[in-house]
Amino acid sequence: MLLKVKNDIKEIDRVCTEVKNFCCSNNIENDKCFDIVIIVDELATNIIKYAFVDGGDHTFDIVIDKKGEKLHIQLSDDGIPFDPLKRSGPDIDSSLDERAIGGLGIFFAKQLSEQITYERTENKNQLDVFVNLKKEK
Amino acid sequence: MEINTKQDSGITVISPVGRIDTSTAKNFEEGVLKIISNSSSVIISFASIDYISSAGLRVILMTGKKIASNKGHFALTDMPAKIHEVFKMSGFDKILKIYPTFAEAKASFETN
Repeated sequence: MLLKVKNDIKEIDRVCTEVKNFCCSNNIENDKCFDIVIIVDELATNIIKYAFVDGGDHTFDIVIDKKGEKLHIQLSDDGIPFDPLKRSGPDIDSSLDERAIGGLGIFFAKQLSEQITYERTENKNQLDVFVNLKKEK
Repeated sequence: MEINTKQDSGITVISPVGRIDTSTAKNFEEGVLKIISNSSSVIISFASIDYISSAGLRVILMTGKKIASNKGHFALTDMPAKIHEVFKMSGFDKILKIYPTFAEAKASFETN
């Protein structure tokens, strides 16, 4: 499945619906589908918010492909070079007072996937995410 | 987004409906801030929530901080299993009070 997404936060609802439909038509169980929606939501939100700094209209691609027990999600944008995986994660052991607001989205995507890699090629940011579809428990 | 509220035994119960994601979080934040402005005991029920992303968690954390700074009571209840998992993954289950039911949350307010 290929999704062309505009850099508008309103697109997130449509993206989530499309991902859910993809999961349904590929017989991916509901709990896994929930995780996949979070991954795509968080990474796409990150691109919409931070990749394009000129204020203009842009489009980026999300490709989702099921290969047996693995799901491959690829997000590519032609925004500014940015490796979200390098961002330090939240301190999940801090107290309510100390707990910083933010940094959770990428952390979720990392937690819920088996592997995420970042590559900068031909002026594009490319994130490749792999999700294991096998039931863990 | 739709946010229902009611008063029960002096507690403001907030029940948002649907999804709390990047596109609804701002609306949710404004709604919640308005509701909590004159309440010191607040419960958010997740019974009608079927999805939450980090954008939604941010609003919950901010709400918790705000109520704590006013020495109020704040708890979350009725979380579907997947929503609870997201809270656990974020570590928020250690800094916010999460109870299965309204009755348990209410009882915790009374003992504190």
